Amino acid sequence: MSIRNILSPFTAWKYLFRDPVTIPDPLNDRPGSPRYRGFHKNDMKKCIGCGTCEAICQNGAIDMVAVEGIDASKEDSGLRPNIDYGRCCWCALCVDVCMTGSLTMSNEYKWVESNPDAFRFTPGVDKKHWDNAALGYHRPDGYQLTGRVREQMPELEPAKRIESFDEIVQGYDVEQAKLEADRCVACGLCIATCPAHMAVPDYIAAVRDGDYERGLKILYDTNPFSQICGRVCTHRCETVCAARHEGDPIAIRWLKRHITEQVPRDRYRAIIGDPAPPTGKSVAIIGAGPAGMTAAYDLARKGHAVTVYEALPHAGGMTRYGIPEYRLPYETIQHEMDLILSMGVTIHYDTRIGSDITMQQLEQDFDAVILAIGLQMGRSTRIPGSEHAGVKKAVDLLRRITEGEHIDAPKSMVVIGGGNVAMDIARSMARLQKQQHGSIDVTLTALEDLNHFLADPDEIKESLEEGVNILDSRGPQQCQVDAEGNLTGLKTWKVLSIFDQQGRFAPSFDETDEQIHPAEMVVEAIGQMSDVNLLGEELTERLEWNRGRIQIDTNGRTSESWLWAAGDCVTGPDVVSAVAAGHQVAKSIDAVINPVEALTHA
Amino acid sequence: MIELYEQLKQRYALGEISVQRFDLVFITVPRENLASLLLYLRDTEGFTHLVLLTAVDWIEDNKFQLTYLINNRESATDLGLRVIIDRDEASMESIHDLWPTAATYQRELKEMFGIDFPGSPRIDEDFILEGWTEIPPYRRDFDTLEYSRDTYLERPGRSTSDPAQHMKQLFYPEDKD
Amino acid sequence: MAYTPDRSQYPQKKADGSLDIDLTSGKYLKLWQGPQHPGITGNMSIELTVCGDEVAEGRTHVGYLHRGFEKLMERRTFIQNFPIVCRICVPEPDFNEYCYAAAVEELAGIEVPERADWIRALILEMGRINSYLMYLGGQAGALGQAVIGQWSTYVRDLMLDRFEELTGARIYHMFIMPGGVRDNLPTGFRTRMEHTLGEIENALRDIHNVMFRNAVFEKRTRGIGVIEKEWLDSYGVTGPCIRAAGVPRDVRKDQPYLVYDQLDFDPVIGKDSDIYTRADVRRRDLLLSVDLIRQILSRMPQDDGPTMATTPNVLHWKIEPGETYVRGECSRGEYGYYLVTDGSGYPRRVNVRGPSYTHAMALFERMVVNCNIADVAALLVSLHTYPPEIER
Repeated sequence: MSIRNILSPFTAWKYLFRDPVTIPDPLNDRPGSPRYRGFHKNDMKKCIGCGTCEAICQNGAIDMVAVEGIDASKEDSGLRPNIDYGRCCWCALCVDVCMTGSLTMSNEYKWVESNPDAFRFTPGVDKKHWDNAALGYHRPDGYQLTGRVREQMPELEPAKRIESFDEIVQGYDVEQAKLEADRCVACGLCIATCPAHMAVPDYIAAVRDGDYERGLKILYDTNPFSQICGRVCTHRCETVCAARHEGDPIAIRWLKRHITEQVPRDRYRAIIGDPAPPTGKSVAIIGAGPAGMTAAYDLARKGHAVTVYEALPHAGGMTRYGIPEYRLPYETIQHEMDLILSMGVTIHYDTRIGSDITMQQLEQDFDAVILAIGLQMGRSTRIPGSEHAGVKKAVDLLRRITEGEHIDAPKSMVVIGGGNVAMDIARSMARLQKQQHGSIDVTLTALEDLNHFLADPDEIKESLEEGVNILDSRGPQQCQVDAEGNLTGLKTWKVLSIFDQQGRFAPSFDETDEQIHPAEMVVEAIGQMSDVNLLGEELTERLEWNRGRIQIDTNGRTSESWLWAAGDCVTGPDVVSAVAAGHQVAKSIDAVINPVEALTHA
Repeated sequence: MIELYEQLKQRYALGEISVQRFDLVFITVPRENLASLLLYLRDTEGFTHLVLLTAVDWIEDNKFQLTYLINNRESATDLGLRVIIDRDEASMESIHDLWPTAATYQRELKEMFGIDFPGSPRIDEDFILEGWTEIPPYRRDFDTLEYSRDTYLERPGRSTSDPAQHMKQLFYPEDKD
Repeated sequence: MAYTPDRSQYPQKKADGSLDIDLTSGKYLKLWQGPQHPGITGNMSIELTVCGDEVAEGRTHVGYLHRGFEKLMERRTFIQNFPIVCRICVPEPDFNEYCYAAAVEELAGIEVPERADWIRALILEMGRINSYLMYLGGQAGALGQAVIGQWSTYVRDLMLDRFEELTGARIYHMFIMPGGVRDNLPTGFRTRMEHTLGEIENALRDIHNVMFRNAVFEKRTRGIGVIEKEWLDSYGVTGPCIRAAGVPRDVRKDQPYLVYDQLDFDPVIGKDSDIYTRADVRRRDLLLSVDLIRQILSRMPQDDGPTMATTPNVLHWKIEPGETYVRGECSRGEYGYYLVTDGSGYPRRVNVRGPSYTHAMALFERMVVNCNIADVAALLVSLHTYPPEIER
């Protein structure tokens, strides 16, 4: 033992002369670091109440609660996370996973209360002294726990697809679909927005699990038009998807399509199952479109005898006669229709109510009748020259193309309208031009500016890719006819505004900005209306009307107790809304004609 | 590692091999070969360090997997020996005579999985749990959530809503099915 | 010439080799040290049977903070486990985060950005320093030198400040996630870290003078609590305990993980394998960590870039069936996670291998025999054990 080791410890005495290292007032002089994971903040303007924070919390510290003053909307459940600080461990997974970035943390870590229940609070709603703290943990940039980027859908190249009516969208393969389905956080915000309230998170989960039969069962529980909607649905669900806030919305429509493509067609019927035993009740349905056929499916599955009357030679309604084949192949529609018919539905094609059979006849023969006739007649602009034989209606042309009729494509043409039907006819005619003349000359004029077109952005993009010349903010004034009586073009003026100050449709034009668009054919695609002549004078008198449409109650029932109406003819054009309406009237009819059964179900 | 496997195969009946990394291999071995294999590996092949001994409950197959992970410090390689035993009246030979420290692992396995190691020192002594009367808690059929619900009080006053259900109540409550 | 009895003959053994202890003889006394006792590391207790002031038998009792983590993890998703693993070892939680994340990444086939590996190594070394600083205070405290703990706690607090600014928390950092780390270094971090490292070096100089160059400390620790060579493998001895016995085993060197193959260092070893040597090995290992942090900060990518790999959506992350073992060299020895997956969204089994499991149980029970009661605390602390990693 050396003397050094006896003396050395005394060097500790030098600390007598050092300043203390303690912080004199740590409660006030010691803010948390800029990244500190302190108390939660929630930006009420950004939070959509998707509950993903609750789903990831491993402590079970988060409840989703309704909050006074925060109303639910289609894209916001109105719920807000309530955090139990008796359970929270400040791991910040809720912040990391937050779909909108609304949830963050302050660098505050001191909070004194005598009431332990106060530590259960709703950040952003219950005002706290750290609500405005600038520092604290935020999810770092470029860091993500859920996928942000949508799987690219394989499509035919524009140059290739313009040559035929082959389907453009190729569909996901299994790998892609799994990746896309993986992005879904299963919050379910989309369900309320879907008119048919399809169980979206459940069928996306089935894609993730690769259990397509389960997925198909879920689809057909709510939508007998799943194959069709998987292609042409307006997918409003995707506009409220939680993933859209910090990335692309989930491709819900394509995943639906993917399920229908993965299950072999001969398996569909067995998966969906047999209808209920016959009830002895009968229902007539006029029109084999989405609304009518959905109602037919539902009623037949409940055991009612359903007879459908269709004026045209095929079922499908506008999905067949309005939507071009490159978006929705006919054989897909046919399979869907065959599936519905296999539930025991009788269908009479080429049968027009009013001429072949009267409404009175149906009233007598059936327990209930559904009017689902859609919007078959194109509206006219009624501009000078629009009565010329070279001026066509888009719906008529589309129907003729579907029917396989040969149409002489004009060398040049103009389409009036900015909706999906306008795009459909422009692109269909462009294909015919390409086939017949080898070149495309289609001009599309619309009142709206390009940012306010009614057509889907995808439709616009694809039309442009295919060589359609789109001119926005052009108001049609006159169809030009030469001395020989040939149609030569369309005169348009620049649109200044479409609606007046009261919001009524009253376009104003800049007459100095006039253009003549040379064309051998002009197609009007500015909207459709219903052909209600089939009702007959007497019934038309008896029914109550609302602005030219048949008045219905919330269940789709008209003022006549035996007659229901559904679909485009009462709610306007949209496939999935028509499906929803079909369900609605089917349920209502079932409750009326089979009250005992409906009661035991309730 | 593969050479070692081939070499061991000459002398012992071995099951499946899984090469996890260049320095980590798992081999399934029949239970009766385990002790002699471990002795050989420890004394001849340099696997002198018992890293861990633990069990996995494959309740679906009614089997336990015992994993003996041993490490060769010289070559810095690990070998995991898997022994599959029956889950009913689970029991295995003790290796405390090879590594005294194995007695601790075996005591824990007895308590947590109910796997007996006859002859292992203090095998029946409580290790972590005192006065435990339920089934061994690390078995898959022991439900921790249920146990905690039965044993502890939930804090009152909490309730949560599912966003989709909540929106249904608000926007389309009539669509009840 | 003083009388030196042959201690190996004591306590007496029965013919079958078990200890011959008759408590009714009045010769023996049961003595509990812990669970509340200043000479105990954390929440555990040791049951001593003493004869006079010499220990005849020792039993380690754990279970005071068993939370069943391994079981809890089986019902949490892979991401949900990330915030709870750190709780398995309070003073050095980061090894749990690293080993868990690395095991998940290995089985899920995720490639972590290189930048994240550097930051992980940085965090692990920072945690090692903290753990050693706590140990030094405890080792000195077990022998009555309270001042060492005050000094080491001060510099540890500075390191906690660095943790706070880097990870957002002081104790449970929850920063090493499956996939990478949460963020880059904050601006100015290197400068502040350098200052902290300087303070630590100053404190260690003082500690060296007061604790190690101290006749009392030497007298109480030299030649006491020796881990015999033949015990090293029998009792799974790792870390500073094995290095103090002259065996240069260090996972950082033997099976380099993260970026340790890009750092220059040699394992710190001692030769006497007693309490003093183990303390000294840890002190030098601490200085090695200071050096490693400097190396890491100067060699890691200097720019900010991605620190997280793209993982599947964590809410329904499933991992194919597999099993693996991932280890690291923590301040106490070999820390490892054995992870078994079965294709579901949850681990089938997680087993945490903490060095204390063998050190505090079988090894300690072996070592405490013939020990003086007054030395038991110093002996236990010198094994540097943390009870939560025993019972998890």
